[in-house]
Amino acid sequence: MNPAVDLLPGTLDLLILKAVSLGPQHGYGVLLRIEQISGNRFQIEQGALYPALYRLEHQGLLQAEWGTSDNNRRAKFYQLTAAGRRRLREETEGWRRLVGAMAAALAARPEEV
Amino acid sequence: MFARFRSSWRALRRRAEWERDLEAELRSHVEHRAADLERQGMAGGQAARQARLELGAGEAFKEKCRAANGLRWPDELRQDLRYAGRMMRRSPGFTAVAALSLALGIGANTAVFSVLNALILKPLAVSSPDTVFFVQTSDQKSGAFRSQSYPNYRDLRDRNTTLAGLAAYRIVPMGLDMGGGAQRVSGNLVTGNYFDLLGIRPARGRFFHAADDQKPDASPFAVLSYACWQGRFAADPRIVGSTIRINALPYTVLGVAPSGFFGTELLYRPEIWVPMMMQAQIEPRPWLEERDDFNIWLIGRLERGVAPRQAEENLNAIAAALAREFPATNEGLRLRLTRPGLVGDLLRAPAKAFTGGVMALAGLVLLAACVNLASLLGARAADRDRELAIRISIGAGRARVLRQLLVESVLLALLGGAAGCALALALLRLLAHWRAPLDVPVHIEVHADLAVFLFALAVSIATGLLFGLAPARQAWASDPNRALKGMPSPGAAGRRWALRDLLLVAQVTVCCLLVTACFVAVRGLARSLATPLGFDARGVAVAGFDLGLARFKPEDGMLFQRRALDAVARLPGVVAAAYARSLPLGLNQSTTIVYPEGTAVFRAANGKEAAYFNVSPDYFRAMGTRLLAGREFTWHDDPKAPRVAIVNETFARQVIWRAGRDPRWGRAGAARDAVGRRFNVETAKPPVEVVEVVGVVEDGKYFSLSEDARPVIFYPAPQAYSAATVLIVRSSRTAAEVAGEMRATINALDSRLPLYGVGTVTQTLGLAFLPSQAAAFALGAFGLLAIMLAVTGTYGLAAYAVSRRVREIGIRVAMGARPWQLLRFVLGRTALLLAAGSALGLVLGTAAGRLLGSIVYHASPSDPLIWPAVAVTMAVIGLGAACAPARRALAIDPVRALRHE
Repeated sequence: MNPAVDLLPGTLDLLILKAVSLGPQHGYGVLLRIEQISGNRFQIEQGALYPALYRLEHQGLLQAEWGTSDNNRRAKFYQLTAAGRRRLREETEGWRRLVGAMAAALAARPEEV
Repeated sequence: MFARFRSSWRALRRRAEWERDLEAELRSHVEHRAADLERQGMAGGQAARQARLELGAGEAFKEKCRAANGLRWPDELRQDLRYAGRMMRRSPGFTAVAALSLALGIGANTAVFSVLNALILKPLAVSSPDTVFFVQTSDQKSGAFRSQSYPNYRDLRDRNTTLAGLAAYRIVPMGLDMGGGAQRVSGNLVTGNYFDLLGIRPARGRFFHAADDQKPDASPFAVLSYACWQGRFAADPRIVGSTIRINALPYTVLGVAPSGFFGTELLYRPEIWVPMMMQAQIEPRPWLEERDDFNIWLIGRLERGVAPRQAEENLNAIAAALAREFPATNEGLRLRLTRPGLVGDLLRAPAKAFTGGVMALAGLVLLAACVNLASLLGARAADRDRELAIRISIGAGRARVLRQLLVESVLLALLGGAAGCALALALLRLLAHWRAPLDVPVHIEVHADLAVFLFALAVSIATGLLFGLAPARQAWASDPNRALKGMPSPGAAGRRWALRDLLLVAQVTVCCLLVTACFVAVRGLARSLATPLGFDARGVAVAGFDLGLARFKPEDGMLFQRRALDAVARLPGVVAAAYARSLPLGLNQSTTIVYPEGTAVFRAANGKEAAYFNVSPDYFRAMGTRLLAGREFTWHDDPKAPRVAIVNETFARQVIWRAGRDPRWGRAGAARDAVGRRFNVETAKPPVEVVEVVGVVEDGKYFSLSEDARPVIFYPAPQAYSAATVLIVRSSRTAAEVAGEMRATINALDSRLPLYGVGTVTQTLGLAFLPSQAAAFALGAFGLLAIMLAVTGTYGLAAYAVSRRVREIGIRVAMGARPWQLLRFVLGRTALLLAAGSALGLVLGTAAGRLLGSIVYHASPSDPLIWPAVAVTMAVIGLGAACAPARRALAIDPVRALRHE
């Protein structure tokens, strides 16, 4: 098992958008999927998930609909809206730039200065 | 942004459903999690418990979800409102006083705004009112307002390229015969394109069009107002196509105007519209082809895409051409486009200045109420220090407490605003019932519309925020630690006092300003009542009738006037009887152009404008006007005799005197010298007529009380017949009694003749005194309100000062302080503030003279009586307000006071 990593502030929203972009999911499913796609390295606090989901829905990035889950229970399914997809694209791009810049900065050696 | 708003809105609207959804979603989550846990081998009950535990505490969690959805704000607002309501119920006395003072302030503002809205702001009830303009003619040299003549109108209408249409209208009384004798109703002569230009739809039938108004006397059509149809014809469904008799001739009713259309003058509501080509049937003297007869008003609609300025240039180019073609009548006329509704700028400008000025003063009253409440609330907030400190220290957040305080004050303001609205509506209803005692029905009907309510709402909220700011500021700055320990915040003691002191000074200043305005207005009224009118109104009864409405020919009319005069002269107690075409200071006045003897070129530029009246012999005796020189008219001054006139002193000085007399003779000399001299007066043809002066009378007021002395001519009625007649009777009995007998006497002579303006001269002078009366009433009410507010404000502060220092006073008394020392100690500061505020208010009040000048005739803030009167009033206010607190301070028993804590 991979060691757990602390979530950077502000990244939960991006992870949710990503998880939902892979297919409509209910709240608990989003939780599982994030753990799955992060190789179980992110532990999402369950209490933080729903306010984030509501916030994203309120911002018009997600839309929700009641449906039936795999094990035949009623659940509210979230999926991306057009604005949500756009936001995911932008944020992913921004994240990549940040990671690239951080990596380059941290890889610097004395002779390169 | 929009998505957020929509989502909040949805959540708000279906709040219960939203909550159920949230609940269900969380339950679903727990079930899923529990199922997972069971699969991993946990027992059923254990798994469910574990799943609930992992999710976290329910309520705090849900609150976060609500906040995420923008639902927290309204939730908290609801809490704030509930709390504010509780606070108000807890101190009903304070709430009542606060709401009442706000109700008075907001009510006054709403009422004044309604009038402003109805007269100045609201457009006419026509289609696209922004392109409809009054085409106003004025004299280039003097800037005086002029009407227009029909031939000029025709040329302007046909030659312009910038107007989609130009219509003319004239206010004319008409005699509507309903079978039981003619009744005098208000009417309009309008050109055929009038209704089409305004773009209104008839309620029934049709309007007449330009094609119906082509040849003189060929279109006996009438359109009725909705009120006329309802009131006089009992909403007869067969009215369209029926025949009515106007001035004894038959007219066909084409249609009925919609209920919301009252003509194009706000203060005059016609009941009947008749095509202008019928003029010669409606009025005794035809003027459709007289270019020098300026008696119609123009209203036009701009062509699409044309700016008002372009149209003005275009119209003035035509006016210049007309001046070249007809210099004698048209020289120096300028045209302007103004907003319609109040005879262009003629009434609009003074109405705007008046309502604007009163509005400003009403705003000051409201400001005084705000300041008053701010200091009251400030004192209360000081007592609530502990409560607020507790709320902050248990985590309410300063912003939240601030909002709480503002919600309280706005709620209070809305309460006051609602009461104020009710007050304003009651005032407006009073105003609607009021009728000016005039020969033309003047309606000042003001309805509160949406704009008025929005105004009241906006004012209430602004007021609430304004007077809520002071306590809120205090709460913001307070330190919960110290407040909880019962210590004042560092430095706050001095500063808070300073703020409250400033508020009192501001309040006293505003109050003093309003009291000054009030006194100026009352003095103005007193002065206008004392203005020498040039006649003595006491004991004079009048009755008016228009022989034109009954279609008398001039010869018959003159005979009837003589018979009526002889009949009323025989009434008991009559000292003198006469008749005239119109009375001074009424609405119906005429002017003419006169030329001094020896004038070579008869052009308006060389002449002088003079007002004229047609009066019978004995007129001056009946009116009580002094004859300074020469003689009165006799019945021998008839058409066969040479043309004669009696002039007033100003005429003698300005027209006769200027013709080259010796200035050493002085005023009396001017009057004596004028008798026997001649002047020229313009007539249609030949261009001028020579008139000899046979008498000179004292000056008076003729058009308005505020006018400067103007030259006036009186012509003998036998030489200048007029169908409009006012019988004037001076008697030794009460005028009202005689007026009733005059009505009976004239009715006995001709029962079908409609009478109007029957009463005393004092009644018919109502219009002249209206502005000063309205000003004195409005400003008096404001002054009274301001005094009430200042008294409560000063009292509150003085009482507060005493109650905070009970202990200190006790010590001083125990140490042997004398009463006056005590008073100086407790109330010295209040007195100082009061004096400072009063001085400031007086200075401002004097400086605001121009503002008052627009409201009050004869306003003179530098009046020597005003200053002492205001000073005494303010002193009385101060003494009255400080009396009770002072007694309380003196009655403090040192033993008790010291044991108090």
